[in-house]
Amino acid sequence: MLLTVTLTLLEGLGTTLKLFALTLLFALPLGLVIALGAMSRITPLRWLVSTVVWVVRGTPLMIQILIIFYGPGLLFDLPLLPRFGAALLSFVINYACYFSEIYRGGIQSIPKGQYEAGEVLGMTKSQIFFKVTLLQVIKRIVPPMGNEFITLVKDTALVRVISVYEIIWMGESYIKKGMIWPLFYTAVFYLVVNGILTLLFRWAEKKLDYFR
Amino acid sequence: MRKWKKAVSLMLTAAMALSFAACGGSASSASSASGTAGSSEAESAADSAAASENVASFTESDVAYVQDKGTLVVGMTDFAPMDYRNDSGEWIGFDADMAKAFAEYLGVEAEFLEINWDNKLMELDTKGVDAIWNGMTITDEVTNGASVSEPYCNNGQVVVVSADKAADYQDVESLSGLSFAVENGSAGAEQLDALGIPYVAKSTQADALMEVASGASDACVIDLLMAGAMIGEGTSYPDLTYTVQLNSEEYGVGFRKGSDLVDAFNTFWKEAYDDGTVMETATTYGVQESVIEK
Repeated sequence: MLLTVTLTLLEGLGTTLKLFALTLLFALPLGLVIALGAMSRITPLRWLVSTVVWVVRGTPLMIQILIIFYGPGLLFDLPLLPRFGAALLSFVINYACYFSEIYRGGIQSIPKGQYEAGEVLGMTKSQIFFKVTLLQVIKRIVPPMGNEFITLVKDTALVRVISVYEIIWMGESYIKKGMIWPLFYTAVFYLVVNGILTLLFRWAEKKLDYFR
Repeated sequence: MRKWKKAVSLMLTAAMALSFAACGGSASSASSASGTAGSSEAESAADSAAASENVASFTESDVAYVQDKGTLVVGMTDFAPMDYRNDSGEWIGFDADMAKAFAEYLGVEAEFLEINWDNKLMELDTKGVDAIWNGMTITDEVTNGASVSEPYCNNGQVVVVSADKAADYQDVESLSGLSFAVENGSAGAEQLDALGIPYVAKSTQADALMEVASGASDACVIDLLMAGAMIGEGTSYPDLTYTVQLNSEEYGVGFRKGSDLVDAFNTFWKEAYDDGTVMETATTYGVQESVIEK
């Protein structure tokens, strides 16, 4: 029985991890774009980006998932996105906004003197950003990113509101068969995944342990 | 110094890669939005001219819409003996088998989709599913949000308590001192509301049962049919039993508001009842006593 349950939960974990990986794939770069928008010298763009970030971070992710999946059908009678696609889209938008603030914090933490030095040396703005700033930014944002990654693994549980069969859904389905323990057993899987992530981040921090 | 340079150039490569990804990112995530929409988006793009017609013509015929796409998507949950999986993973049960028969009657395939039951009306409305068919009690919530078939099964809401306490709680008056758990928005919750008894709302009947089994609540209210299948001797909850039946009610199948699938279903059911299919299927799953005579 343990084996059957484990296999079923692993199937759910597959969906969980797919959502996790694809969210990172799209949200990490998108977050950088949003961060640059939030620091843009074009005032309307800055306002627009800040407003979007405020709305996305200020409303529950579960509501965003429901709106993105059911919204088109309810409001405009449009065909629905596939369930997993809608879930992924909500997560990418949501996490890109959180990432953008981490990037922004990292970028703005670089002393202004370095920009000035770069300009004195005749570097262009983008040269300074990519060759001087970004390198140090990556090093500084590793710990907060670790937090977000771990939160993301657990947040994926929310997508069961639109019937994406992730690991908690699989665990809960056993309750109807009168088995309570599979639901609690799912925690072990999260713990293992986050344990691996923690080790990876520790390793990354060590690797980035240059110029202090 | 050299080591430092090496690290820098390595990081730069990574940074550049990331920045390229960033450039591609916004575009590709936009396209991925429609990209992940994938096959069905492509279909629906092709369909979309047809879809807008469908929207217009749907009020005329939901049957035609279902027959066009060739599948009847049945929204349900794992709910023995109405819908559950057999060992090979196929959906069976009284409702599942009848849904397959109804799909056949329409000349389409039945497709079962496990949904979050809280969202059943939204699923119907947005065409996520074509029918909600899962031992569904006909309540005001359902009749307001969907067009419901003629009732096909009798049911009731019963109070579940642990067997050693059952003797003390045999009538409605005795219930007021108990702490209750019940599925949010269910027919059982309506009964407790009517009696003015406070309760903890859970997302499924099974969760409510778990509350009682764990001792977190004294009692819960669930469907008679479910109680018959899930508690007592020989089940996972041998120490629980049910006592008071609070009401009697009926099961129906929900379709989109105004859908002509309702008439199609009623005609189908009458025929299936007359030729004995209904009773035969019901007997297979042990619910024959609940089936309503047609």
